[in-house]
Amino acid sequence: MQWRVIDTGVRRAAENMALNRALLDARQADESPSTLRFLRFTPCALLGFHQSAEQELNLEYCAEHGVDVQRRITGGGAIYFDETQLGWELYLHKRDLGTADMSVITRRICEAAARGISALGVNAVFRPRNDIEVDGRKISGTGGAFDGDALMYQGTLLIQFDVEKMLRVLRIPAEKLADKAIASARERVINLADLLGDVPALEKVQASIQQAFAAEFGVEFMPGGLNATEQRRYEEALAEIDTPDWVDMVQKPVSDRPLLEAVQKFAGGLLRVRVAYDKPTERLKQLWFTGDVFLQPKRTLADLEAHLRDSPLERLDENIAAFFSGRPADMLGLTPADFATVIKAAVAAEKEQA
Amino acid sequence: MATVRGCNLPDDLFYNVDNNVWARKEADGTITVGMTAYACALAGEIVSYTPKKAGKEIEQGKSVSTVESGKWVGPVKAPVTGEITAINDIVAGKPGTINADPYGNGWLVKMKPTNWDGDSGALVTGGGVAGAFETKMGADGFGGC
Repeated sequence: MQWRVIDTGVRRAAENMALNRALLDARQADESPSTLRFLRFTPCALLGFHQSAEQELNLEYCAEHGVDVQRRITGGGAIYFDETQLGWELYLHKRDLGTADMSVITRRICEAAARGISALGVNAVFRPRNDIEVDGRKISGTGGAFDGDALMYQGTLLIQFDVEKMLRVLRIPAEKLADKAIASARERVINLADLLGDVPALEKVQASIQQAFAAEFGVEFMPGGLNATEQRRYEEALAEIDTPDWVDMVQKPVSDRPLLEAVQKFAGGLLRVRVAYDKPTERLKQLWFTGDVFLQPKRTLADLEAHLRDSPLERLDENIAAFFSGRPADMLGLTPADFATVIKAAVAAEKEQA
Repeated sequence: MATVRGCNLPDDLFYNVDNNVWARKEADGTITVGMTAYACALAGEIVSYTPKKAGKEIEQGKSVSTVESGKWVGPVKAPVTGEITAINDIVAGKPGTINADPYGNGWLVKMKPTNWDGDSGALVTGGGVAGAFETKMGADGFGGC
């Protein structure tokens, strides 16, 4: 069986988002073959479909530094994208996959992508729910959109990456941009150039990912371009997406999304947590742990952060218990309950203020 | 009441099986629309819900709401043409209600159908429900709720 591969080069965010819409719709209408697309971006901040720019981004910084702000059609969190990252996307029909279970589809695609990245000489693995990592450090984030029987699944791949720029684009208070916070963010991500000691050729990276998908799905990729109906759909989608109406479609007050912090001393050491908390839904959107604690394996903190991302506060205790029940961790006096305690302290402080 | 591969699919509701949505006729002439228990099982925990605004006319098969789970975003499609008359504040505050109670508090929108008698012919209800979902689940390679 033959699928198509398209490389749409470096484009503005609005153009890439319009291509997402156009190619997914065309796949749904059976006007397109199943397709792998490689894409790159001029500097931009990309919101998840349900996010608001005010809550997620430092809009002043974006405006001053020529960082486009756009909304994805896929879910998940806000990201910073520029020419130093490669995007990959699959446009498929459900029958290509033999299942309609979203988490199964995620795992299958991410594991194949991880094999493609690994073939470059690193040890990339899928980390549920949506990341690909190397030794506990994220190298690729992913997300999907579906419509009827068609779906699009996309991921990033950090080839080189400016962590500090990312932190400045995302809405993180200035005091958190201290060297320590940047160092801590840097510990959580990794890029191919740092792993390989050299910037790999883009063609080589793309070929490796393409080969992994070809092997996983038993297909051959034929290079192609947009067909006439895709081009028409693209132009229509661009007219909708390249507008403030699309970018501002979801508007939520910044006050609903406080960035909370707590620090607490336990028998096992000092544990600090920062929480991006969504008040209306009482969900922990994202967490960052730091502190003077001893944990083995070292990646436990990063894994726990991933496990608790976008989870309901009311299920915190059971979520933490489930996390630690599945893995042996040496914590030198720190207990699973300590993590819940410090998170609850952060949220309680906010509730008191309110 | 029908149960197919462990999924509850009440047979007094009207289903668009392909789109995995249900409609219930209410006494006041409106309908309530939601996702099936099967759709919830495929999606996993729903974390975001963005309905179209009340007052908006939606054609049969077009999106009445967007939902997100596990970073997947997709539309929930209108079982019939009509005007949205209400959206669900409980679900807006706690989107996981859709999974917890898909036929009760987890409804997505209420609509005033333009032509229920005409449009509902495309929907499955009563004795046809179990067989239609069994076929769909087979095609989807679904293990069970």
